[in-house]
Amino acid sequence: MAAVLDRQRKVITGNGAAAYAAMLCRPDVIAAYPITPQSEVVEQLAKFHADGLLDCEYVTVEGENSAQNVVCAATMAGGRAFTATSSYGLVYMYDAMFNTAGYRAPVVMVNVNREPPGIHAVCSGQQDMISVRDTGWVQLVVENCQEILDTVIMAFRLAEDFDIQLPVIVNYDGYYLSFLAESVDIPAIAEVDRYLEVLKRQPPRPQLLPGQPIGCGSHGIGMGYVELRKKHMAAMERVKTKLEEIEGEFAEIFGRSYGGQIEEYRTEDADIVLVTSGSAVGTARAVVDAKREEGVKVGLVKLRLFRPFPKERLSAALRGRKAVGVLDRSICFGWDCGPLYMEVRALTPEMGILPLLSFIDGLANMDITKEHIAGMIDEIKAAAEGRPYQEVTWLP
Amino acid sequence: MAEQRKRRPRVCEYYQNEDQFAKGVALCSGCTLELNLRFVSRVLGKDIIFVGTPSCSAPVLHGQNTMAWHRHPYYACTMTGVASSATGLTRYYQKAGIEATVVCHTGDGCAMDVGFQTLSGAAERNEKIIYITYDNEGYMNTGIQQSSGTPFGAATSTTPLGRESRGKTTASKNMPMVMAMHDVPYVATATLSHLEDYAKKLVKAKAASKEGFAYIHVFCPCVPGWRIPTDASIQVCREAVRTNYFPLWEMERGVWRITQKVKEPKPVSELTRLVGKLRHLNDEELARLQAQVDHRFRVLQALCVASEGVPQSES
Repeated sequence: MAAVLDRQRKVITGNGAAAYAAMLCRPDVIAAYPITPQSEVVEQLAKFHADGLLDCEYVTVEGENSAQNVVCAATMAGGRAFTATSSYGLVYMYDAMFNTAGYRAPVVMVNVNREPPGIHAVCSGQQDMISVRDTGWVQLVVENCQEILDTVIMAFRLAEDFDIQLPVIVNYDGYYLSFLAESVDIPAIAEVDRYLEVLKRQPPRPQLLPGQPIGCGSHGIGMGYVELRKKHMAAMERVKTKLEEIEGEFAEIFGRSYGGQIEEYRTEDADIVLVTSGSAVGTARAVVDAKREEGVKVGLVKLRLFRPFPKERLSAALRGRKAVGVLDRSICFGWDCGPLYMEVRALTPEMGILPLLSFIDGLANMDITKEHIAGMIDEIKAAAEGRPYQEVTWLP
Repeated sequence: MAEQRKRRPRVCEYYQNEDQFAKGVALCSGCTLELNLRFVSRVLGKDIIFVGTPSCSAPVLHGQNTMAWHRHPYYACTMTGVASSATGLTRYYQKAGIEATVVCHTGDGCAMDVGFQTLSGAAERNEKIIYITYDNEGYMNTGIQQSSGTPFGAATSTTPLGRESRGKTTASKNMPMVMAMHDVPYVATATLSHLEDYAKKLVKAKAASKEGFAYIHVFCPCVPGWRIPTDASIQVCREAVRTNYFPLWEMERGVWRITQKVKEPKPVSELTRLVGKLRHLNDEELARLQAQVDHRFRVLQALCVASEGVPQSES
């Protein structure tokens, strides 16, 4: 048993990595409801619990809405709580997510990206995470199984930080990452304890306890509401620097880091840049390398932090380029483009006017192939050279 | 007989503490919900944690900004999240070894309609909480709309009387019975005309909540919603019991017992004539309501007989 909690290298799936990470952070309460492609996370946690490795209250709720309410209340009582969901489940807990964020409840949640309801697709796609972007949660998007594990651990540090106290979602692509088995370095629980220990030394959070008349969720009337909204927004802004700070400390203990809000890959001298997130980044990295071989001065920006949007670092990374393309695994109704593209376009005052191209690919498990990305880079290059280009391209 | 009466504890003997609520609160004259809140708080004690939702009770329970009208810890959530939020609280307290009594307090609309799934789920998991439904038979806070607690024939703002409508066309959900069928340790009905009966049930519910789920369904007439005089709400409670419209019973570990036996039940018309929302019922409609009341009571009696002396084994 104890061996499982020592440092080890194992081949595990993305879902397995998420479950290991949650277990290593010693949550007090876990509540989750199964849904494809997330189910393995809750099954694995149930097994850890059944085997006595995970000393927590494991609540087998009757739906995602309840899962979210359980973890929100458990953190308001003073505990550490974790949940995991996907797609239909995420939108089923939509009302409760506003509560969790509004209460500044430091819940950590894994969302395994999948297309949401409408056209029934049991397939990958990032539309689910896009649809909850205005709930007031911090959102991170990750690229591979190791990053899933590391980011879930960092998410607890971030959520429970006294300066932040916000719920955090760690998003990863369903199918492409949830079921992908990779070699993952699983830290020892003692190392994770050491990393999270700083949280115990901060001033205590308010707790809802018997005998202590604290109201949680009182009516925000007039300025009472405005004040809480303003403070929530300020905490959200603090996430940007805090993430990089806690990632620095993570690197000191575990020897791995991911660039904080964004990761720039071969952008130093790049004329053109492709921006994307999630599992497509790995493919894009390989294509950028190949294009560099051909002499194309192309770089890649991986968006890790989606909420708050890393506008300062992103505009600095894109300013002065000859053209930029944004690859989305979701769509933005009403703007006729991809949502990340729309947000990058909003950086125009900071990054300057330059040709911007939106690529929509990978909906409903359609593979984002090397050929697709090579084609995107060709288009961005053509735009950079002043040739006419199409603003929005759907692939395949 | 006189001696026997003396031995029976009076309602104030159940009080654990002073009233924890402010003297003036924003509820209507004659509101049974206000009485219910103050009573629950005094019998269950200072240390309970209330969980509630947007509702008539919200202005009093929620507080506004940093102002509050009571001294209890309080957790407000969405109507879909009461029993699940209470689950989160009680599970953390169990994990942390903190002694606590978590009390959900919601209206019938939350318990029986929009929050029913999460309530049923928490009961099935046998969460250690007390859930109190104050049943005023509709959505009173939002303007007297029908809920699944609204009885057959009642006029509400979404089942209004009209040329083509005689009020609600279906019966109310028999919610306390539905909850009893979840095989939880304790389920009871109560109302504010029978406070000793209610107090005893609260004490039992508190004890039961240390082992698992306890549910109390409280009949709470609404003065403006039911169109009754401000001084008539307790009388309406009493008539509901005397007509068997709202029988007082409890289910303890699978054993059903009627706690207030009515020797000669009055016809349900004795209740409906007091209540504006039901006063329009004609003979045929009254007969239908009476038949439903009689049938539910016969089922209750049958359960009492069938389960007598045969408690369910510990779950």
